[in-house]
Amino acid sequence: MFSVDEQQIYFVKSLTLMSDEKNLIFKLQQKDETALGLIYDKYSSALYGVIIRICKDEDVAKNLLQDTFMTIWEKSESYDVNKGRFYTWAYRIAKNKTLNFLRKSDQLIQVEDLSVYKDRTEEETDKLDYLKLNGTIKRLEPHHQKAIELVYFNGLTHREAHEVMDVPLGTFKSYIKQAIKQLQQSYLKMVTFLMILIEVMR
Amino acid sequence: MEKTYILDNGLLELYVLGELNANEKAQLESAIIQYPELKLQLDTIEANFEKMAIENAIDAPKEVKSNILNTISKSSTKTVSIAPQKSLRPYLNIAASVAALLFIGSIYMFSQLNNTKKQLQLVEQENKKLNSNIENLNNYLMETNKWYVAINDPDVQKYVLTGNALMPEATVISYVNNEKKSVVINTKYLPKLDDEHDYQMWADVEGEMINMGVIDKNKDMLAMNYIDNAESLNITIEPAGGNDHPTVSQLITNIYLN
Repeated sequence: MFSVDEQQIYFVKSLTLMSDEKNLIFKLQQKDETALGLIYDKYSSALYGVIIRICKDEDVAKNLLQDTFMTIWEKSESYDVNKGRFYTWAYRIAKNKTLNFLRKSDQLIQVEDLSVYKDRTEEETDKLDYLKLNGTIKRLEPHHQKAIELVYFNGLTHREAHEVMDVPLGTFKSYIKQAIKQLQQSYLKMVTFLMILIEVMR
Repeated sequence: MEKTYILDNGLLELYVLGELNANEKAQLESAIIQYPELKLQLDTIEANFEKMAIENAIDAPKEVKSNILNTISKSSTKTVSIAPQKSLRPYLNIAASVAALLFIGSIYMFSQLNNTKKQLQLVEQENKKLNSNIENLNNYLMETNKWYVAINDPDVQKYVLTGNALMPEATVISYVNNEKKSVVINTKYLPKLDDEHDYQMWADVEGEMINMGVIDKNKDMLAMNYIDNAESLNITIEPAGGNDHPTVSQLITNIYLN
């Protein structure tokens, strides 16, 4: 369960880091190696969490993470701050690299045979206990949780995921929307809590 | 792309997840710029996904970071070689500016130095002039003093020799001191002679004319030879450089002494 303390720490941290973020990315785009090191510290574990949950292989995940950061380094100037968050951009790189790797390897068959994928996912996730999801997502209703997990952490497309869940695509899309809404509300509660906390401290 | 179409089809979510094709992606990106509320919605989705990803972060093995940084510094020797140039550039600019300033400064200083030298030269010239003026004045003062002392002696007798018919405009003032045996004359009022002639002064002693000296053309006041027992003073015009005996026909003035 996600504790209030952790929430607080994360939120305050994210507020203070917001102003540094632009500067850091600007430096990265100027090919500043220190900036890359800092960006690695900030995002590598989140990206690694995604990569390893898609490929489920530590050695492969290590190589893919390294590959992802090499691309972040080489293509940093193609990131446009007006088109979204830096993390989203990096996430897409990590996800594409992982999916491309899986498609090239013989796991392709398994991925395309979605029923196999479904079983395998559950089996292997159980085996690899540390790959289980944590935090706010655990507060979502099970079908919302599953929908997010499939598209975000397993790298399935909406079309693949709705088949896995055996619901119509439209329904699946609404699952995703509702899930995001619930995540948002959960975070808003945290913001409200923080506001109250700040008021009380004053 | 219509706003409602985007929202109804969950395109923002697909965009964040990277599921749109290039064409859809470009259309959506322009729609985001067009509709601020879409941008807001997109921010929310991204923030929530990011937050969720961070909650589910797994630390990567430590060697990954060092691998990445090593690969970068190895592969980017080009970047490394460019980097110092980049960082040197502002310093070079500063150095160039400083050099330019120093150069301009030294030109200015050099011209100032030249001016000062010229001024110093002028001052030195002025100083020389003043010094020689002072010297001249001092000499003049000494001479004047000398004449003043000579003339103002109580033993001095003053005789004014006036020109005769031969040269009526001539006047010579003579100061005779029998005690100190000196004769001083003022020739300021003697008409100028040509280069071939000089005035010469004579003393008459018992009927004999004795030479007192040739009168210097360039001086107003001058001392002549004192002759003992002189009865009169006489001035004649003689060939340049003087004569052993006076040319009496050329006598222009004479005066008897007391």
